[in-house]
Amino acid sequence: MIKNDLRKKKYLGTTFQKKLLFLVFAAAVIPATVIALCLYYMIFNMLSIQMFFPEAIAYNVMPVLNKINMVIAIAIPIVLVVLWLIALELSHRVAGPLYRLEKELGEIVAGTKQGPIMVRRKDEFHSLAAKINKLILKR
Amino acid sequence: MKIKPKKILTYGLIGAAIVCALLLIEFLFNRPPHDKTLRGVAWFKFDKHNSLDGWEEKIFNGRVLYSVKDGSSKGYLNAYSQKAASGILRWVKFNPNKHPMISWKWKVVQFPQRKVGTFTDGSWVEKDDYAARFYVIFPRFPFFRLQCLEYVWDKDLPLGTVLNNPNFPNLKLIVASSGDQNLGKWISIERNVFEDFEKYFGKAPGYVGAIAIMTDADNTASTAEAQYNDIEVGYDKK
Repeated sequence: MIKNDLRKKKYLGTTFQKKLLFLVFAAAVIPATVIALCLYYMIFNMLSIQMFFPEAIAYNVMPVLNKINMVIAIAIPIVLVVLWLIALELSHRVAGPLYRLEKELGEIVAGTKQGPIMVRRKDEFHSLAAKINKLILKR
Repeated sequence: MKIKPKKILTYGLIGAAIVCALLLIEFLFNRPPHDKTLRGVAWFKFDKHNSLDGWEEKIFNGRVLYSVKDGSSKGYLNAYSQKAASGILRWVKFNPNKHPMISWKWKVVQFPQRKVGTFTDGSWVEKDDYAARFYVIFPRFPFFRLQCLEYVWDKDLPLGTVLNNPNFPNLKLIVASSGDQNLGKWISIERNVFEDFEKYFGKAPGYVGAIAIMTDADNTASTAEAQYNDIEVGYDKK
């Protein structure tokens, strides 16, 4: 069964979501940092060696470097927040239905719930929920 | 799927190690090329027509004509700038903590025509030219963090004046020769770069990685000419 309503709470606080959130966030941030650091230092180092004379570096490399540092200082917090929100959304799509499956299966086992288990449209594990629902109906 | 934060951290550390390895490779293979034959004491005389072999030219604004004149034991390096700024450099590595001395001879034939009153208060004048400049470069990684002692011959500023570049604090410009009373005469300069560095940067220097010379007249749109000879670097106090 597919439910269309939006889940308001994105952060469930489960250990699984925490791990997933960290994984998605780290997978995005670490490679990006690696590449950015390499490019940053290699480009400016090579450019400075090429120019060599301090005045040439002062008037050509340093203004660009300062502008880029300013852009980075502004952009990095924004990028980190955006990446965190994306990681939260992605982790929620996986951890949310699992949380629901576990919770509702527990209720069914305890006899406090009868109906099928709902899974939201954008969530994962539709096929798993469908098979569990078939199992419940056969019971 | 079992997610292990420790494992992710391990991958992160591996990633960081890869970055360090890449930076190390870059540092080893792209660092300034020090001439292995010129470690320690080096003496540059311009007594042969190929004496400029091993020197690199860097052009900023037009090309200054650097040429070896005479080509005999009395030979010298002539630099002629007509509204141009370019320099030549030599990668040479020595430890000024052990061998702090550096010396050279220079002669100004013609100063750039600076407008009267443009250079009076001792502050940095960005758009200025010098008939003769001698650079001692202390490279650091990344290279834009280099530190530099720049000795100049200035017509107006008093001997010993030190200027700080507001855009590049790692550059100290020191007036090593002053005035035009010695125009057309060879002047010998000897500097203890260890003492100069310690005095102007407030700490002991690292390795010297290169020396360079420049004559420029681009900002004043005029003509400057200077001669250089007997550059000796990395020797002990006599």
